[in-house]
Amino acid sequence: MRASVGDHIVIKSRRVGQADRDCEVLEVHGADGQPPYLVRWGDSGHETLLFPGSDATVRRSEHAER
Amino acid sequence: MRTIDAVRRSGIGIRPEQTIREAAEIMEETGLGSLAVLDDSKLIGIVTDRDLVRRALARAMPLDGRVDAVMSSPVVTIHADTDLHEAFAMFRTHDFRRLAVVRDDQFVGMLTVDDLLVDLASDLVDLSRPISTEIHHAHHDSTYPDMP
Repeated sequence: MRASVGDHIVIKSRRVGQADRDCEVLEVHGADGQPPYLVRWGDSGHETLLFPGSDATVRRSEHAER
Repeated sequence: MRTIDAVRRSGIGIRPEQTIREAAEIMEETGLGSLAVLDDSKLIGIVTDRDLVRRALARAMPLDGRVDAVMSSPVVTIHADTDLHEAFAMFRTHDFRRLAVVRDDQFVGMLTVDDLLVDLASDLVDLSRPISTEIHHAHHDSTYPDMP
């Protein structure tokens, strides 16, 4: 996976009736856009490191740094 | 199959000075039951929802206490490129349901028994399909013609 600052990463829910999770990429810690990413979670504003699995997809930001 | 290929869910890393309350809120928001505790990208522990209940709530610890006070440490790890059979063996011989996956001493994901069970259940459904089809829609060979 490759992402840039400003992109959003969507974590697909594994439970019926549970919404997908969304976070914004604040920092890219890997080389060439690779993980891990420092992200901010939408609802709470908590910042964590994210190590994306197969449940994660990148939603590109129009204003993301390339 | 490599262990990293069996990791289904994204992993989350938090800092040791983050609070117990934050850890609980992050678990709730991300839907994960365990978080890696990282000190400058070095894996120093794992905190699970079970840790929060048994070591924090049950002991009336303040929720603004540091999460590293309730984490499990040291952490048993497995290299990302190790054959998955070795992970099965570790689950068989240890009393845990989550295994931190590392590469070059860096945390890269969390392998859980739950994920492995979901995969195995899916494989079993695929394998049993031809048999269940045979049972429910039995195909009968044509009968031999009557002999004179």
